Amino acid sequence: MKRIFKKFGSSALVATLLLGACETIELDLADNPNQLSLDQSSADLLLNSIQIDFATFVELMGQNGADLVRIGYLNGRNYQNITNLSPVQLNLEWNIAYQGDNAESLDSGLEVNGILADIRALAPEAEANELFRHTAIAQFIEAYTIVTLVDFFGDVPYTEAIQATAETPILNPNVDSGASIYAAAQALLTSAIANFERDVVNEPPNDFYYNGNWGNWVKACNTLRMKIYLQSRLVDADAVGNFTAIVNEGNFIDETSEDLEFQWGTNAILPDARHPRYADNYTPSGGSDYLPNWLMNLMDEGDDPRIRYYFFRQVNAVPGEEIPPDEENLACSLEPTPQHYTDGGFTFCTLPNGYWGRDHGQNAGIPPDGFLRAVYGVYPSGGIFDDSRFEGLSVGDGGGGAGVTPILLASWVDFMRAEIAMLADPSSGEAFVLAGLSKSVAKVQSFGSLDSSADLSFAPTAGAVTNHSNNVSTAFTSADDDGKWDVLAEQFLIALYGNGIDGYNFYRRTGFPTTLQANLEPEPGAYIRSLNYPADFVNNNSSVDPKPNQTIQVFWDTNPASPTFPIAN
Amino acid sequence: MRTKLNGLLTLLLAFVVHLSFAQDKTISGTVTDADGLPLPGVNIVVEGTSNGTQTDFDGNYAISASVGQTLLFTYIGQKEERRTVGAGNSINVQMEEDAQALEEVIVTAQGIKREKQALGYAVSEVGSEALEQRTEGDVGRVLTGKASGLNITQQSGLSGSGTNIIIRGFSSFSGSNQPLFIVDGVPFDSGTNSVGGIDGDDDDDFIDGNSGSSRFLDLDPNNIESVNVLKGLAAATLYGTLGRNGVILITTKNGSSTGAVKKNEITVTSSLFFNEIASLADYQNQFGNGFDQAFGWFFSNWGPSFERDGVAGWINGVDPDPEDGFDENGTLAHPYSTASSATGIPQAFPEFQGVRYPWIPYNSVPRFFKTGTVKSNSVNIRGASEDGKVSYNANFGHLDDEGFTPGNNLRRYTIGLGGRAILSNKFTVAGTLNFSNTDFRTPPVAASTGNGALNQATGSSVFGELFFTPRSVDLIGLPFQNPIDGSSVYYRQNNSIQHPLWTVANAKVQQVTNRVFGNMSLTYNFNDNLNLLYRFGLDVFSENNINQQNKGGRGQPNAELISGFYQTWNNTNTILNHDLILNGDYDLTEQVGMTFNAGITSRREILDRNGVASSGQQVFDVFRHVNFANQNEIQFFRERNIAATFIQADFDYDRWIFLTLAGRNDWVSNLDIENRSVFYPSASVSFIPTTVFDGLKSEKGINYLKLRAGLGTSANFPTGFPVATNLNINTQFFQDEGVDIVTNSVGNRLGNPDLQPELLTEFEVGLESRFFNNVVSLEASYYRRTTEDLIVDRPLDPSTGFTRQQTNVGEIKGDGLELDLGLNLFSSPDEGGFNWSVNGNFTTSNSTVEDLGADTDIIVYSGFNDIGNAAIEGEQLGVLVGTRIARNEAGEFLVDSAGDYIEEQGQFVIGDPNPDWILNVNNSISYKNFNFSFLLNYTQGGDIYSRTISTLLGRGLTTDTVDRINTFILPGVQESDGSVNTKQINNSTFYFNNVLFGPDELGVYDGTVIRLQEIALGYSLPKKFLDKTPFGSFSITATGLNLFYKALNVPEGTNFDPNQAGLGVGNGRGFDFLAGPSARRYGISVKATF
Repeated sequence: MKRIFKKFGSSALVATLLLGACETIELDLADNPNQLSLDQSSADLLLNSIQIDFATFVELMGQNGADLVRIGYLNGRNYQNITNLSPVQLNLEWNIAYQGDNAESLDSGLEVNGILADIRALAPEAEANELFRHTAIAQFIEAYTIVTLVDFFGDVPYTEAIQATAETPILNPNVDSGASIYAAAQALLTSAIANFERDVVNEPPNDFYYNGNWGNWVKACNTLRMKIYLQSRLVDADAVGNFTAIVNEGNFIDETSEDLEFQWGTNAILPDARHPRYADNYTPSGGSDYLPNWLMNLMDEGDDPRIRYYFFRQVNAVPGEEIPPDEENLACSLEPTPQHYTDGGFTFCTLPNGYWGRDHGQNAGIPPDGFLRAVYGVYPSGGIFDDSRFEGLSVGDGGGGAGVTPILLASWVDFMRAEIAMLADPSSGEAFVLAGLSKSVAKVQSFGSLDSSADLSFAPTAGAVTNHSNNVSTAFTSADDDGKWDVLAEQFLIALYGNGIDGYNFYRRTGFPTTLQANLEPEPGAYIRSLNYPADFVNNNSSVDPKPNQTIQVFWDTNPASPTFPIAN
Repeated sequence: MRTKLNGLLTLLLAFVVHLSFAQDKTISGTVTDADGLPLPGVNIVVEGTSNGTQTDFDGNYAISASVGQTLLFTYIGQKEERRTVGAGNSINVQMEEDAQALEEVIVTAQGIKREKQALGYAVSEVGSEALEQRTEGDVGRVLTGKASGLNITQQSGLSGSGTNIIIRGFSSFSGSNQPLFIVDGVPFDSGTNSVGGIDGDDDDDFIDGNSGSSRFLDLDPNNIESVNVLKGLAAATLYGTLGRNGVILITTKNGSSTGAVKKNEITVTSSLFFNEIASLADYQNQFGNGFDQAFGWFFSNWGPSFERDGVAGWINGVDPDPEDGFDENGTLAHPYSTASSATGIPQAFPEFQGVRYPWIPYNSVPRFFKTGTVKSNSVNIRGASEDGKVSYNANFGHLDDEGFTPGNNLRRYTIGLGGRAILSNKFTVAGTLNFSNTDFRTPPVAASTGNGALNQATGSSVFGELFFTPRSVDLIGLPFQNPIDGSSVYYRQNNSIQHPLWTVANAKVQQVTNRVFGNMSLTYNFNDNLNLLYRFGLDVFSENNINQQNKGGRGQPNAELISGFYQTWNNTNTILNHDLILNGDYDLTEQVGMTFNAGITSRREILDRNGVASSGQQVFDVFRHVNFANQNEIQFFRERNIAATFIQADFDYDRWIFLTLAGRNDWVSNLDIENRSVFYPSASVSFIPTTVFDGLKSEKGINYLKLRAGLGTSANFPTGFPVATNLNINTQFFQDEGVDIVTNSVGNRLGNPDLQPELLTEFEVGLESRFFNNVVSLEASYYRRTTEDLIVDRPLDPSTGFTRQQTNVGEIKGDGLELDLGLNLFSSPDEGGFNWSVNGNFTTSNSTVEDLGADTDIIVYSGFNDIGNAAIEGEQLGVLVGTRIARNEAGEFLVDSAGDYIEEQGQFVIGDPNPDWILNVNNSISYKNFNFSFLLNYTQGGDIYSRTISTLLGRGLTTDTVDRINTFILPGVQESDGSVNTKQINNSTFYFNNVLFGPDELGVYDGTVIRLQEIALGYSLPKKFLDKTPFGSFSITATGLNLFYKALNVPEGTNFDPNQAGLGVGNGRGFDFLAGPSARRYGISVKATF
């Protein structure tokens, strides 16, 4: 018995060791089963990601640009320390452009993947399978993205970017000069146009911008080339000529139906497909962004027919205007107007008619005014049409977030052409300004139907639209040369509502308008000529240092240094 | 397991056989210990001869001797006894315990028992008396202060929250620095799976996951026989890579069946404790809600005074409009009558229309908390067969720990069985089996910077919306739930703060863990010198997590959160461990003894996570996935195998010098083939001058002196799958016209096929000594540790195409000193006499970053990218980085024209979270049947970035902010012209703009703290009272935990407790995101044996 046990015991021991230990000594377990491997990628699915990320990128950069030219509200009395433009805050924009962090998302929940890394991953498959349309869309997006990075940040990595898996991996990419990136963008667009015009077997199943209208894509490419030439006109003697050449070819976005824009949806959860500004502001606690008093006042005073589409008022009066001041909800309504506001003729704190917003730079704590302040309207973010209902918003109201992010609009092209025309002769810009205004108003008005609950009898009549146009015309013709530039600039900025990228560029290029509301702080420091490098960039890349301050100018900005320029600081 | 001692015994026996003298007669008798229990294995020799024997299991012996000869009785841990042989034939001896415990045997790596004097490295031991009957059910916390070299931080005072254990400081910043837990000889997972960390990315777990338990919570401290802490690498070489952070060797009562009493014994411990919040701030009662002395339903408390008159009197805010401001009686319109109608509050609460709200301090925060009760019961049964060859132990434990936070509870059942049988066929079989069922629940504790939960959070924060409650807000009295739709309602007029009571009632985080762990071992004794051990260890836990919240939450933009969510997932974690060890024990010559251990071992660890995350609740308060509109997947899998061989050989020369050589080779499964294998050796030596130099040792001078030195190496392997680069697929990235859009995207982690193991080297020297009749004992260790080829989870510039990569860089050097000093101030020879002993331990450690590799100068490895713990060359590992006050070239602070500091963006060193040193002093006093002990803890230094302090000050809540008349002028110069700043700012501007929302530098405080960690008063019934009862012993103990603490350098009124891990259990340190109130516990415990 003992012997049997012994034998049995020993063999059991050996068997346990061999069998039981077997799986524990398997040493080839390096593959990650939690995700796909790179060779399982699909060009269609990569392109989906690239397109959606691009919209998010433009949306966020458009917001940054808008805040800097008072078509958005900028919180911060010291231009060097603007909270929303701190290096950390700009990580998100940077990451969308290049590569997103794990499960990175906007606060509202919309996820981001990163554009350029996916474009590079798309290239080999697109090339092998002759997916020219895929390539062309990616080239357009890449061109717009890198140009925008240069416009906001200055020199950024490009030729050494996305090279971490190259034969000689680059983990600290050097920056390229803005000028060379501009040139690269032009080359990408030339190639994109050719690719859009080639025959392909497999088209992308999803084209979120033009739904497969490749002719419009070519126009978009040409329009982006015009935009790039215009932006570089201070440093490129040929820019105006190149711009005009494209205009003369006539194959650019000149009809609103050809507008390049991204259409958002209404689904709130899994995924959040709503317009990001809608998602942020149509919440159970009311609005979270303030609207800029400068823009609201400009449009209110000018009887701008777009005002009810742009802003939704939740109340009919702001404390300190038609009703008594309110210390709790609008502390500044009890404060005296700062001297420099009086001197500059700016409105302070309050506006009539319920346009409850904030002055440029105001950094007071946030009172419980989420259902009192004005919020984004039906254009472009898919909110509520302001039919003087004067009610607090509810989640899902208005267009439910099914707005657009405008990227290149026909109306803007008119303002770009106005600028070119006015370089030669300021008075020659009028026709373009009025054309741009007209296209913009028509487009914005078409958004009224997005809010099915709206009482559109409050929509401006054709007569009101005409009157407004005439007023702009009068203002333009009666103004001196600088005044004409101011009119152009103001009208351009109003039309840019929803995407301030071109507004920020215009302002640094021309210095107009000079009428922008000054910072609430009398000494806010020099104007922001380019943004801080994002934290993830300077902290993790030993090839670059943080910028010393906000006064560094991008390559095409040869205007005088701040504070001399721009005038309206 | 053969020990050195048994080898000596063999030697002695051999002598007996060879050399026998003529004997006159046979002496027999029984040897017992101090308690009268028989002592088996006592060595008995006739002095001056080689004649010797041993007692049998019943303590009986028989030996031949002549009258006049002396019998010498020796036994480990007992004083030597001498008896002269007289006329009788029977000599019974009762031995006394030897306080010197010279030849104490302790358990070392791989369960190898060795004499303490032979060890060339430091081992701390904590016995069951220091672990039982404690107010905390978490063994990690119970260890606090009880051994040098340990730094234990709790995540918070929540019952069941995680615990961070660091031995000898940080040596790595990407790998885990948590020690290896070995329970009864086999590995035991002690990880912390934070409840928020469901995306599998550990980087941001702490944001939501401040609620996970550390899995050593599954052990009942009452069931632990002893804990040995192996601190250095030389001690832990045999455990390989997993032992690199030190090893907590736990022997449970089930696992320690050796030496079991023959008589069956039942021990019952029953405790009742109370649990309170210890870290409540001293709230001021002079000012209420508002800003700039004006009233408003704000987050902040800078409003008017509760007094009528004066500069800040509420009378200034009287408004004729009843909806607005104060009336003449100093009352306000009820906030639920004036809330924006879009919130639905006025409609839902018509009863508050026209109701006035008194302007008084409501003392809301203290009333939110309650006193929890902690009930703990455990039963232990042990016994052995008559011949002592079969022994068993069984126990049962139950803990019901109710937190001071409503909704927080920890309930645990443990059952364990263990036993050992020495079979007659040279086999010895032993095993333990333990089962535990742990149910932990808490309201969600997402990180907060002082405005409710962080925006990145996907859960709510019960504390993040609580501690800043303005004094004039009646948290308890204001209804928290909308009667119409169940949503949260609160005072803020746009309803943007989630009511903390709503969070308690409607949100829950729960972890129910079922765990089985145990081992089975079979030893075959070839002969007295050689045996072979096979041991199988199994540790499986199934952690069932729930994270849920009803729809109607407020205060965060995340639509998913507001819609109501229900996430359920299971973490099944498995460790399979096989050991096959050959143990030998030989004498090479008469002077030189040798033992060796050679083994092969393999370990497999698997974490398998599966679950569902639902959102879009349909029917309120129904938590089933079927009641939710959207379902998303939760799935994650991780596995790793480590196979190893090891060998250890110990030599001694004449028992005064001991040498240990060991080496181990590991092979790991998740690296590329050429980087998979690593070998690391260790050597240690112990030298005992008091044995070799007779003159050195004297009763009144040096009683014992041992010098030791050890050199150890180890390696650290990465976890996860660092070699692979992946492609992400997302099937719900976007929705276009109702159709879900699927995307591919390159994964953010760059795979690294060249990744190598991290290498650690440590040299340590130490001494162990006793002086002056054993009144003083001193143990000291000094070590230097180098970590090379650090595995770094390196953040990459996204323009590289990736955001992270695990890579090897640089070098960390650390050193440290550990001192253990014991003083027997009074030591009475009589039973029941007055005894007073003091034991102190002192720990200091440094880790400096020597090199980070060529192409990077800073790596922020924990926290957020902008504010976190960083590795910077030349700095202490883990320094806090964040924004600072801008300075000019002369180093003066820059102030803007409004009088506030200018913030300089970037990653500047703003603090060092590593404590300078830690001192623990335990006093133990006994007299008659009373014993009294208290443990004091002092931690010097260690900075903490505290959002709790910033929020309490910045929002004007504590007594520190009462003085609001004076103005501040920030020291510095005006940025514009460099002139000395003279701009006056008021109290709220200073605290709100600068401390709360200014440069991070201003939120850093020194964490020096003194603490009465434990205090206990016990009484045991005298034996004579028990004689006629079934009880063998009966004692009652009153215990307190954390009854007093004081952080010396934080604002007085904040009463901040720096012992908390705001970044969760991991490598982060020195951060507080409003998630860590600490607990105070006290109560009574009864222990009886029968």
